[in-house]
Amino acid sequence: MSKIVIENLAIINKKEVGSGYFLLTLGFFSKTGTIKAGQFVHIRLPRSNIYFRRAFSIYDYNPGNKTIDLLFRVLGRGTAALAAMSPGETLDVLGPLGNGFKFPNKNETVLMAAGGIGMPPIYLLARQMVQKGFDPSRIFFFYGGQTKNDLVEISRIRKLKTRLYPATDNGSYGFKGLLTEAISSVINGKEARYRIFACGPEGMLKALDQFGRTEQIPGQLSLEAPMPCGIGVCLGCILPLRAGGYTRVCREGPVYDIGEVLL
Amino acid sequence: MTSDLSITIAGIKFKNPILTASGTCGYGEELAEVFDLSLLGGIVTKSITVKPREGHPPPRTAETEGGMLNAIGLANVGVDKFIEEKLKFLEPFETRVVVNVAGAAIKEYVEISARLADCPRADMVELNFSCPNVAEGMTIAGSAALAERAVREVKAVFPRPVMAKLSPNVTDIGEIARACEAGGADALSLINTLVGMAVDIKSYRPRLTNNTGGLSGPAIKPVALAAVYKVSRAVKLPLIGIGGIIDYRDVIEFMLCGASAVQIGTSLFVEPDAPIKIIKDLKKYLSENKLGAVKELIGKLRPY
Ligand SMILES: Cc1cc2nc3c(=O)[nH]c(=O)nc-3n(C[C@H](O)[C@H](O)[C@H](O)COP(=O)(O)OP(=O)(O)OC[C@H]3O[C@@H](n4cnc5c(N)ncnc54)[C@H](O)[C@@H]3O)c2cc1C
Ligand SMILES: Cc1cc2nc3c(=O)[nH]c(=O)nc-3n(C[C@H](O)[C@H](O)[C@H](O)COP(=O)(O)O)c2cc1C
Ligand code: FES
Repeated sequence: MSKIVIENLAIINKKEVGSGYFLLTLGFFSKTGTIKAGQFVHIRLPRSNIYFRRAFSIYDYNPGNKTIDLLFRVLGRGTAALAAMSPGETLDVLGPLGNGFKFPNKNETVLMAAGGIGMPPIYLLARQMVQKGFDPSRIFFFYGGQTKNDLVEISRIRKLKTRLYPATDNGSYGFKGLLTEAISSVINGKEARYRIFACGPEGMLKALDQFGRTEQIPGQLSLEAPMPCGIGVCLGCILPLRAGGYTRVCREGPVYDIGEVLL
Repeated sequence: MTSDLSITIAGIKFKNPILTASGTCGYGEELAEVFDLSLLGGIVTKSITVKPREGHPPPRTAETEGGMLNAIGLANVGVDKFIEEKLKFLEPFETRVVVNVAGAAIKEYVEISARLADCPRADMVELNFSCPNVAEGMTIAGSAALAERAVREVKAVFPRPVMAKLSPNVTDIGEIARACEAGGADALSLINTLVGMAVDIKSYRPRLTNNTGGLSGPAIKPVALAAVYKVSRAVKLPLIGIGGIIDYRDVIEFMLCGASAVQIGTSLFVEPDAPIKIIKDLKKYLSENKLGAVKELIGKLRPY
């Protein structure tokens, strides 16, 4: 039986990496070793009257330095409370939770789509693949946001030496238009074998799911739902499956095959 | 001095007064990855119905001040799969298993309880009377006559203790409690969630697809305590207190008001290991206060 671990992790560093975007570096788990890209942590928000935890994808980790990085955007009460925390304080962290991405074969060409604050799990997947010897030139990394300000941490992605395609809705950086349009502009016609990995806003994931199904391109999407418990007991974080019934995003997800969930 | 945490309810011994509440711990499988279920006094499994149910479409939970609303819609695997898989999973744990039963008519409670009669692992049944009763157009929890009949008919088919779970959404919870006692209930658990609502002012839509839902969490603890206090004066039955418990102090409050044991619900979502901490803290409290047994706290309230 696997183990769900709760730990108090120290905040080692907090940095505003873009207006409203924070990079949070925490101490590493002492009871868990491996982390798969796509897994998340569920965090309590101390010093606030917010009752439930909030989920954050693991952005990066370094067992050598004993650190875990999270990247978040201040959206509402929970993320505002997290942004108000300071290095030296500790956080009550549940995780790593959920199932990560399945690694592609080395001969595949990979199309990664990171929309806004959906970037962290996609970055981690690319980082793990490159580290395991996957040729970075076979990774087409599309990173989209509303404006240049939303393309935070692009220098970290650049270090992976993937084929990086930034895109902004207003054209303030990279391709002007939606991420899905940027993808179509680069990937025209049916090229060899692709595999899609994506995380981002609902509209983007829906479009990629549709694209994958019609073009018969396999892939995986990391999905979101509000998560009261994060461990599968409340039945609150459900999404409908194409085959019927519901799935718990925290437990069976958050990563699903294209076509699996009715988006 | 080692303090005795055990409690006996309707002839069944619980190693401590801490149970997990129905609908907040599934069938135990996930929590078993957090802690050893054998440490619990008992586990109350998710409401089961005759047929499997998917429940309501999302969103079916919403965060509120000091708690949450839920309208899960009794999503569950159905009694067949429950007995084949879920009860089997719970078999090896040295804890009490209370099986929560729900239905759209009294005959469904009877049908499920009769099936469970042959499963000794089901130490007790808990009847969730908060579901809409299709034929009568009301909940069983809201009708003394229906509650009495339902308990009586289940008692006739289930050989071990039967507990009725009371709803706070009634005019007089004491009256329903007395009806359950008259029907032969061995124990009562209270409270289930309070009807509540939350609205998104951008879309003008309720925040649950079911429009209304059940409120739970710390926000409801005062209501639950008052209900336990009231019912403890209305009936002689042992009571299990439920509602907003997060720590051992809450447990003591419930026991002083008349509860013999408690169930931990929504807290599990925030601190999945809350029951373990509570059991530890309770033990410490007893020895610090030179109490030999936790049962000494039951009903020891000094009301004005
Ligand atoms: C598996 C998973 C991984 C996640 N990873 C990250 C991550 O790496 N970085 C990150 O910044 N966030 C991530 N999130 C989202 C995060 O958990 C919070 O839900 C979100 O930041 C809003 O929380 P809040 O308390 O600030 O907002 P709230 O106070 O809860 O809400 C404020 C506003 O934001 C809206 N909102 C709430 N939740 C979401 C949501 N999930 N998506 C879009 N709008 C929402 C609400 O409708 C409301 O209008 C993840 C969520 C999941 C389920
Ligand atoms: C998500 C959720 C699902 C629930 N499902 C059930 C259920 O299936 N049957 C039942 O009798 N009570 C159910 N309850 C009610 C709880 O068992 C408990 O009575 C109530 O939540 C109050 O306790 P708490 O404040 O500790 O959560 C549910 C509660 C929640 C929050
Ligand atoms: S968040 Fe509770 S079941 Fe997924």
